[in-house]
Amino acid sequence: MNVTVTRVFPFLLIVLGIFLWIGYSITELTGGGRKASAAVDISPEGGEAIYWGKGRCFTCHSVGGQGSAVRGPNHGQFGEKFPFPMGARAEKRAKERSEKLGSNFSAVDYIVESLASPGAYVVQGYKNEMAVVYAPPISLSLKEIKAVVAYLMSLGGDLDMEAIDTAPSEMTNSFYSKISAAAAAGGGDPTAGAVVYEDNCTECHTLNGEGGEIGPDLTGISGKGLKFISESILQPAKSLTKGFETYVLIDKEGRQSIGLKTRDEAGEVDITKANGDVVTVAKADTKSLKVDDTKSVMPDDLSEGLTVKDYQDILSYLMLQKPKAEQ
Amino acid sequence: MARHRRIGNGKPIKVVRPVLWLALAGICLALTASPAFALEENVYRQFLGIDSRRLVWFLAQMHLFFGAFVLGVPLFAVIIEVVGWNNKDEKFDKLAYEFTSLLSVAYATTAALGGLLAFALFTLYPTFMGYMAGIFKDIMFLYALLFFGETFALYLYYYGWHWLKSDRPFAANLQWAFKALALVIAAAGIAFAAGLIGPEMRIDTRWFILLLYIAPLAVGFWILRDLKSSHIFIGILLNVFGTAIMQLANSWAGFMMSPVGVDGEGAFVGTVWQAFENVLATPIAIHRMLGNLAFGGLVAGSYAAVKFIGAKTPEEKAHYDWMGYISNFVAIAALIPLPFAGYYLGREVYSTSAVMGNNMMGGDFSWTFIIQAMLVGSLFIISNYYLWSGMTRIPGAERYYKFIKYILLALIISFAIWLTPHNLPLSSQEVGEMGGSQYHPMLKFLGLMPAKNAVVNLIILATFFSFLLYRRGNVLEAVSIRDQGKGAKITILVVGLAAVALVGQYAMTMLNMDPGELDLPADRAEYIRMIGYLLVFECVAGLAAIALALMDRGKLGQAIYLAVTAFNVTIFLGVWGFVVMEKASPVLRNVAVAQFLQLISCLIVVSVIDIFLFKRAKSLGPLKWGRMSVRSQYALLLLTFVITMNMGLMGFIRSGLRGDWHIFGVMRDTSEWAHTPSNFVMTQQVGGAVLLFMIGCAFMFWLGGIAAGKKGD
Repeated sequence: MNVTVTRVFPFLLIVLGIFLWIGYSITELTGGGRKASAAVDISPEGGEAIYWGKGRCFTCHSVGGQGSAVRGPNHGQFGEKFPFPMGARAEKRAKERSEKLGSNFSAVDYIVESLASPGAYVVQGYKNEMAVVYAPPISLSLKEIKAVVAYLMSLGGDLDMEAIDTAPSEMTNSFYSKISAAAAAGGGDPTAGAVVYEDNCTECHTLNGEGGEIGPDLTGISGKGLKFISESILQPAKSLTKGFETYVLIDKEGRQSIGLKTRDEAGEVDITKANGDVVTVAKADTKSLKVDDTKSVMPDDLSEGLTVKDYQDILSYLMLQKPKAEQ
Repeated sequence: MARHRRIGNGKPIKVVRPVLWLALAGICLALTASPAFALEENVYRQFLGIDSRRLVWFLAQMHLFFGAFVLGVPLFAVIIEVVGWNNKDEKFDKLAYEFTSLLSVAYATTAALGGLLAFALFTLYPTFMGYMAGIFKDIMFLYALLFFGETFALYLYYYGWHWLKSDRPFAANLQWAFKALALVIAAAGIAFAAGLIGPEMRIDTRWFILLLYIAPLAVGFWILRDLKSSHIFIGILLNVFGTAIMQLANSWAGFMMSPVGVDGEGAFVGTVWQAFENVLATPIAIHRMLGNLAFGGLVAGSYAAVKFIGAKTPEEKAHYDWMGYISNFVAIAALIPLPFAGYYLGREVYSTSAVMGNNMMGGDFSWTFIIQAMLVGSLFIISNYYLWSGMTRIPGAERYYKFIKYILLALIISFAIWLTPHNLPLSSQEVGEMGGSQYHPMLKFLGLMPAKNAVVNLIILATFFSFLLYRRGNVLEAVSIRDQGKGAKITILVVGLAAVALVGQYAMTMLNMDPGELDLPADRAEYIRMIGYLLVFECVAGLAAIALALMDRGKLGQAIYLAVTAFNVTIFLGVWGFVVMEKASPVLRNVAVAQFLQLISCLIVVSVIDIFLFKRAKSLGPLKWGRMSVRSQYALLLLTFVITMNMGLMGFIRSGLRGDWHIFGVMRDTSEWAHTPSNFVMTQQVGGAVLLFMIGCAFMFWLGGIAAGKKGD
């Protein structure tokens, strides 16, 4: 025991001392410790706290020499690649965006879009891998996002708090609506999803013996998995169900009918359109009838019509539609 | 108060009931807590104004240190006992008993700390724990029952050691009954492996259960024939109970990181099995299992080192030198696959959440991982140093001293590459000097995953090479395998072919894989196929090594196989990793799997050939146990300190990845402590826990010494 006390423990204390010194040095090198994010104001200071705290922006971005992350663009002035800090850069990026889309983007619109739809206009040389900051696990509120926008605009840009908070442009406002809905949802609610389903899907799809027959029967759809359901809503043409291919019929007068082929008999073909209208064309009058695998009868702008909350709700509702064997 | 009973040969049994009750009370508290829902407002409390998170963190860390020791030691104690039993060598039996003697106090301390941790969690984090208890109540009941099993098995194993020593065989009928039971369990195991039982189970969970519960039980029943084998069977049961307890507790930790069956409102709508078998539960369990084994080995090794330093006689020195060697051997055996288990866990973390994955490698924890790299690199270098020091006790080993400098060079270069970060915080001026890039033009490559994967394989190969030199230290010439009978040939052939098949099946997977499975276009198939061709080449090298060994050219076979493997895993795949990263980055994970499979197969085949090459070879003299420098014992102690710090650090990373969420994405931490602590705070917490744990160990060793003194051992 004497040996332990007199030789081993001093040795241990030296080792632990080195360990503590390494921890201390690294903490100093990386800008000190952090504290829990308190409620923040919509201000550059509040945004800075979110950026380096709860928002975890520092995981992928740096601001000039502050931080060491390089997965996303540096938000400060940094080397030849980033000659302007974010606020000033946003003006330039907004102009490019306006030219591309033919709409009038302001710097604030550009930054808000980057947060609301990160994949919309990715900086060259970077991947579209930014996390959705208003969904779990980051889950920033709209107020916190506005604060981050203020912080980024304050980095060399014209900080206009009205444009960020009190009087946003129409475009920014539409992004804010999307963020608010998602933040409020915090995940899907199957009960609300049933209502959304009733309003948007029943007309075309059958579920447990009830509903229309234009689209595939969704009874037991959860067996196909979340990815399939999600893709079917957002990009319906990508995951067409066999027997529900989209046909394009052109008659001899050049009129085009797009929809499902619901009847094909000796002399006639029925095409059922997305709105439920049925067009009957005599085969003799048909110029061409082809499957178009790039289109779906299901509206492809459904995701625009649904809010994020509706989308999450309906996903959770459909995921509850278990195949019979599992029920 | 401890109660004493007498059983068998009259040795006292200490039933540590108060401690057990404390732990069980914690569990009961958990079971009676009313379930809460994730969106309810969280309630937080404090005890004496102490930061609740740091308190719980500290208690959890202490519980895990002692728990890891208690779970790790029986794993190798039973194996050592089996070696002694099989070879009829009393020395090994005594060593296994000495290792087990360290467990008694540690077990009681683990239980006491577990109870304290449960109380702290339920009183300081009532909402969170209510939610967890609501989901895991069935598993918590099972946990409590297993706790009884573990307790009885441990005390029976330790205190029944001398009582269950007889080798007088049981009645033949009874022996046949045990063998029949073993066959039934084995058949059930085969059905389970084939997926006939639990078809929906994750493959890692299935193999974990198969290898750590079903197979040991089948073996245990198969060998049951007398009291001594019954004692070994109890040891197996002890490990089965211990592993199951760990796996259940891991499912809670895993659920907190990768919750399943929870709806958008945070209400649990899944099944208990879903919650138990969450994505990260088994990867964590695999990593922890190996970690416990290495940790248990090294803590036992530190016991031997302390005893060696204080030894008064050559006999004592010889005994504790040998004990330290065995402990270090166990630790290295577990350390070798540990980086791969860590890689698998990391991959599953990324699969669970890219945010959590990015946070791990590029966010709060990127610097913590650099500290971790320092610690793990140190573990390998110090282990090698201990082996090299051990060569001084081997007559004839001086022939191999010349290789040590090359191994050291390989280790240092690998260590340096492993430590190289991809980028560092730089000033604008420094960026300008590097041509406007934040990355160094050359060193940036060393910071990327392909370089890290290559050097970790080289470190393992270098360590294995040290071990081969150690093994061959006192043998003169290899012996003929042809003359060793069928047993040697069959063993080499079966083990060799199994290892080659392991690589071969992955080669086929690579050759037939559709790039679409990795979301890659068809023209990227060549990047996958190349790995397949390389693995086929590796299989050819493996087969050549087996054939050469059977033709008495085993050393040549080993050399060819090691050289091919070293080239494939470090040079070829090291470079190919960069190509893949640029052109088809999802294939990078397949590169890592290919590296692991080649390395592990090579190590297995080369070891088996080596065993028979030098079996009964002419010796240059017996090992001079005890002829070790005191410095080497400090190396052994340092290994224990480093692995203990590393365990604490890894726990910090794993738990911290959730960010400010109690349950990732479901229940947010809304307390005043909801932020990631700095690395300095981490070193304070972990350092404090390590210090206290080591004081606890010193106390355990002291008690062990008193017990040994009383028995006159």
